[in-house]
Amino acid sequence: MKLNLTVISLVLVAAVSFGLYQLSYEVQELEKDLKVLNKNISENKESVRILKAEWTYQNRPDVLQALSSKYLPLLLIAPYQVASVGEVPYPQVDPEQYSVPVPRHHPRRDYSPVMPLPKGPIQLATFTYEGNLQ
Amino acid sequence: MSELTWSTKSPRPRITLTPSLGQNHPDDHHMALRLEGSAKETLEQGRNRLVMAGVIFAFCFVVLASRLIGLAISGIGGEEAVASEIDAPPPAAISESKRAEIRDRNGVLLATTLTTASLFADPKKVINPKEAAARLMTVLDDLSEATILSRLASAKNFIWLKRNLTPTQQYQVNSLGIPGLYFREEEKRFYPMGPLVSHVMGFTDVDNHGIAGVEKYFDAQLGGSDERSVRELNLSLDVRIQHALRDELSRHMSIFRAIGAAGMVLDVKTGEILGMVSLPDFDPNRPGDFSGDAKFNRISLGVYEMGSTFKTFTTAMGLDTGTVGLKGGYDATEPISKAGFRIRDDHPKKRWLSVPEIYMYSSNIGAAKMADDVGPKKHKAFLAKLGLLEKPSLEIPELGAPILPPRWNSLETMTISFGHGLSVSPLQLSTGIAAIVNGGNYINPTVIRRDEEKMTPVRQVISAKTSDIMRRLMRLVVEKGTGGKASAAGYLVGGKTGTAEKAVGGRYKRDALIASFVSAFPMNDPRYVVFAMLDEPKGNAQTHGFRSAGWTAAPIVGRLISRIGPILSIQPVDEESEAVQKAMFIPINSREKKLASF
Repeated sequence: MKLNLTVISLVLVAAVSFGLYQLSYEVQELEKDLKVLNKNISENKESVRILKAEWTYQNRPDVLQALSSKYLPLLLIAPYQVASVGEVPYPQVDPEQYSVPVPRHHPRRDYSPVMPLPKGPIQLATFTYEGNLQ
Repeated sequence: MSELTWSTKSPRPRITLTPSLGQNHPDDHHMALRLEGSAKETLEQGRNRLVMAGVIFAFCFVVLASRLIGLAISGIGGEEAVASEIDAPPPAAISESKRAEIRDRNGVLLATTLTTASLFADPKKVINPKEAAARLMTVLDDLSEATILSRLASAKNFIWLKRNLTPTQQYQVNSLGIPGLYFREEEKRFYPMGPLVSHVMGFTDVDNHGIAGVEKYFDAQLGGSDERSVRELNLSLDVRIQHALRDELSRHMSIFRAIGAAGMVLDVKTGEILGMVSLPDFDPNRPGDFSGDAKFNRISLGVYEMGSTFKTFTTAMGLDTGTVGLKGGYDATEPISKAGFRIRDDHPKKRWLSVPEIYMYSSNIGAAKMADDVGPKKHKAFLAKLGLLEKPSLEIPELGAPILPPRWNSLETMTISFGHGLSVSPLQLSTGIAAIVNGGNYINPTVIRRDEEKMTPVRQVISAKTSDIMRRLMRLVVEKGTGGKASAAGYLVGGKTGTAEKAVGGRYKRDALIASFVSAFPMNDPRYVVFAMLDEPKGNAQTHGFRSAGWTAAPIVGRLISRIGPILSIQPVDEESEAVQKAMFIPINSREKKLASF
C-alpha cells in the first residue's frame, strides 16, 4: 500500500511536471509565433501605407488630367449635357421604320402565378381554420 | 512470546530474557525487545520529531502540488491581462507611433508618414572604398563618386551616405552586397500631392514636427502627446477643386505674365474652404529648395488693397442702413477733390448714376459719395461686423492682420468705399462676400471638414432682403457690367471686379496692379464663393493691352466655375429662361438720355 502510494505520487509528479513543461514550451512557441505575426502585421501595414501613398501619387489630378486629355475624347461638361431623369424624353417609335405590330395588351398581363396553399390548419389573428386547406 | 528487556536505568545496562508468562508454547519463537528508561524516552522523542517533520513536509508538498495542479488547470488568472497586453497594443502602437495622416474631404490622402531606410556606412569595415564607391554610384545617381569616396575613406566609424532611400534603391544597395554599409529606419513625412496643397498643408522639419500650415496648427493632434493619442485630420479641401483652381490660376498667370496669383473657393453655407491656392507655390516634400516668396500664402497672409470689390460692401451698407435706396443714386459727373486727392472714375459716364449703375460700372465717385452719406463711424462698424478690421481666425498659423488707416474720417471712408486705404487678406474679403450673398450670415471660415449639424454660431450682418438685392447686383455686373468674362454658361455667376494699384513705399505704382475678381454662384441660391487674383498682370494682344480685372481675373473665374460646377453637383440652369430672368431681375433706374429715334 505504502509502496503503491509512493509510486502513484511519483508518477503523478512526473506526469504533472511533464505536462507543465509541455505547456510552458507551448506558450513559448506561441509567443514566438505571436511575435512573428505582429512583425508581419506591422510590415504589412507599412507596405499598405507605402502602397496607398504610391496609389495616391500615381493618381494625382494633374497626371489624370494629362492622361485623360491624351486618351479620352472628353471636354468640359456643357450645361446642356446635365439633365435630371424627368427631363429625359421617352424614346419615340417611328411607325414607318418599325412596322412590327405593337401588342394591344401586354402579354401575360392577366397572369398571376399559382401560389401553393399552406399545408395544415391555418391560424390568423382573428380566424382559426382547423381543417386542411388542400 | 518471550521478551527481551534492555534496561538502562541501572548503572550497568543489562539485557534480560524473560519467557512469556502463562502460555508456554514450545513453538513460540517470537521475541519482543522492550526498552525502558532513558533509552525509551530518547527513541520516542526522535520518533515524534520525525513524524512532525514528515507532516510539515507532507503539508508543504500537498500545498505545492495542489498549487501546481491548480495552475495547470486554471492558470494564474493574469494571463488575460498579459495576453491582451501582447495582443492589443502592437497594432495600436504601430499606427500610433507615427504622425497621423491628413486627408481631404473625400478621404484622398494628402500627407502620410512612411518608414524609409537611410544608408550609412562604417568606413572602417569597408574593405575597398574605391570599388564600393564605383558600385554605389550605379544606384545613388544623385551623388558624385568623389563624394561617396571621400565619405567612405574618412576615419570615422559612422557616416551617412544618403537619407531616406526609396525601396527600390534600398533593394539595389542591398543586392550590391558591399560590406560595411548599413541601413537605419527613419520616418519621413510624405505628401503624395506635391505642390498641390502646399500652403494649407505646410510642412514638417526633419524631426517630423509641423512648422507651417495645418501641420503646425494641429501638431499636437497629428504627432500625439502624452495626454492625447494621434488622430487623423480631414481637411475641408477637395483635391479636384484645388487642382482645377491651381491649373487655371497657373495658366492665366503665365498668359498675363503675372508675378503671382491666388484663388480660393469657399462654401458660403458652412464656411468650409474647398480650395486655396497661392502661386508661386512649393513642394512640401522638399521645402528647403524653395524661396520665401513661394512659401508666402497670398490668400491668408498677404494683405492687399482690394480695389473695387469693396464696392460690394459699400453698396450693401448703403442699402442695409437705408441711407440710399435702389432707386436712389449720386451724381458722378465731376471727380471729387478732397484734401489734395482726386477721386475719379476709370470708366467715366459723366452723369447721374443710380445705385445699380454705380455698382455695375464700378464708379468710384458714386461709391465714395454713398459711403460718405453713411458716415465714417457706421462705415467702420459695418466693416468690423464683416470681420474686415481684425485678424481673421483660421486653422493655419499664417494669417495676416489687416492694415487700417491711422485715422478714419470722411476722406478715408471715401477711399475705403472703393477699396483703397484698407488692406485686407483675400481670405477676409471672400468671407465677407460669403456673408453678403448667403442671406447675411457671417460664418467663420475653416479648412477642416465641418458637419452641418455642428455649425459654429453665425451672426447676422445684413438683412436677408439686402442680401437678395446684392446677389442680383452681382449678377448684373457679370451680365451687363465689367465682369462679363466671368460668366460660365448655366451657372449664374455673379461677381465684382477689383483693380487696385499696388502701394509700394507709400506711393501707388501705376504699372503694378492687383487684379482680383470675387464671385459667387449660382446667384439664385449661392453655394460657393470663388475668388481669383493676379499680382501684376500685364496686358496682351488678346486683351487689347488691358490688364484690369475684367480682362485678366474674370476669365479665370469663368473657366473655373464651368470646370468645378459639375464636380460640386450644381444643376446648370437656362440663363435665358423666364423664371431665371425674373429671379435675377433688378431695376436699373437709369436716367441716361436715350437718343430719340424719329
